[in-house]
Amino acid sequence: MYGTVALRPPLRETEGESSNRMRAPTIQLAAISAVMAGMTVASLAAQTHKEYRYNVGPKAGVSVNNPYGSVSVKPSTGNFVVITAILASDKVEVDNALVGNRVEIQSHLLDGANDHNARVDYEILAPADASVTLHSSAGSLHAEKLHGDVDLEGAGANVDVRDITNAHVHVKTLNGPVFLTNVQDGHVEVDSLSGNVTLKGVNGPLVQVISTSGAISYVGDFGDHGDYRLTSHSGDIEAVVPDSTSADVSARTVRGEVHDDIPLQPKQHTSFVLKEGSAFWGTMGRAAVSSTVVLRSFSGKIHLRKRSEK
Amino acid sequence: MTCLELRESLVEAEDGSRPEQRAHLKDCPECAALVADLIVIACAAGELRAAHEPSPRVWNSIEIALRQEGLIKPQHSRHSLLPSFGSSWGWWRWLAPVAALLLIAAGIYVRQHSHSPTIARIEIPTPEHAAVSDPMIAGLNDEDLLQGISQQSPALRATYTDNLERVNQYIKDAKSTVDADPSDEDARRSLMEAYQQKAMLFELALDRSLP
Repeated sequence: MYGTVALRPPLRETEGESSNRMRAPTIQLAAISAVMAGMTVASLAAQTHKEYRYNVGPKAGVSVNNPYGSVSVKPSTGNFVVITAILASDKVEVDNALVGNRVEIQSHLLDGANDHNARVDYEILAPADASVTLHSSAGSLHAEKLHGDVDLEGAGANVDVRDITNAHVHVKTLNGPVFLTNVQDGHVEVDSLSGNVTLKGVNGPLVQVISTSGAISYVGDFGDHGDYRLTSHSGDIEAVVPDSTSADVSARTVRGEVHDDIPLQPKQHTSFVLKEGSAFWGTMGRAAVSSTVVLRSFSGKIHLRKRSEK
Repeated sequence: MTCLELRESLVEAEDGSRPEQRAHLKDCPECAALVADLIVIACAAGELRAAHEPSPRVWNSIEIALRQEGLIKPQHSRHSLLPSFGSSWGWWRWLAPVAALLLIAAGIYVRQHSHSPTIARIEIPTPEHAAVSDPMIAGLNDEDLLQGISQQSPALRATYTDNLERVNQYIKDAKSTVDADPSDEDARRSLMEAYQQKAMLFELALDRSLP
């Protein structure tokens, strides 16, 4: 019924009706607003807020398994975990337990649950040294300002990880985009089938991204003495680095193109044939502190660019 | 015996050799195809194992990963994270992780061949090797996986279909690159990564966060 009001095509305009021309949209807008407001109120009325708190020891674990909805983890100010859950309806409940030094949280779907009414959004405060494991099929996953290991997994989950130091960061998505920002001294492994992966200020002993068709963007300086491997079968790969970068960079594509805007010292010996336009290999900056950077694609473009200094 | 009962019975006799299984398989081409696929996978696994037994460290890593995933974790709480045989995913909820592990094993297999460039240069993939990998590409019951997703989360079917096509193309392209130059370590690595991507897709499909 409401849809009819909102979507009704405009009547043919006559002279007499023209005076109502400005009023009709206003009425429609008011009706839509009223409906939306009603739906919002009804939705909010069905929501339930729950809060749980656990005291934990050093290097605790936090594990969240949430089919629908978002999970966000931020550091707490002490050795405790606070979980705030917003449940969309009574078709879902939160199971949680402290097992040893690990807090386990599971959204438990009940009969009649679906992707709308079973949504749970979690805001979690955990000690900064906690190891965090988050699973969600469709919601967003967010972790920040931690120095424990971070393991995030979800088919369509949007993943956002930032300000992580000295930790393993493992991410797996099907088509959800992945953003990693300011991950220092990390062991980073990202696997995504078709989601785009964006790394900004990410460095460490190992930074590896594998994608089937997602684009990979790296903005940073490749640290020093690290192993950086960015691979996409058909997605484009772009690395944007400052002048100060020291790295041995090899790039290779089978059917795509490679572009190199930065002069590299060519390697004397290479393990593959350097075919113009489809591969390059060389050193930039100081070889003694170089990281190893490998950029590979099958049909995507690979572009190594210099970051413009402002 | 119904299709469901047959699938549950495969846990104990996966080759369908029991009389009641045989009776059902005789009349049910769908289940017969499934059992055939199971046998292919089991055989491929056997060949892989015989060819290159991964180090204990690999099995240990897999065990740790499975424990971390909660798949072989001891029961702590009343809500088990283990997939139920009674669930609508049925027995193949177990098959897919096995398939994923087999894909990883295939990746390890490929990787092991790439460790020694000298050996890699003189080793041409034999038909047996191709026989190991091809069924694992084509015979992983993609359709079964998609059917399971359709039953469990219909909205995700299109996404998984699309990504299955992409990753199968990845494997195909990577294989063709290896075939063109078997000594190319990068190409072998790509093939391993392609297998890993498909394994990940199966893992995600069976993710415990799926409703």
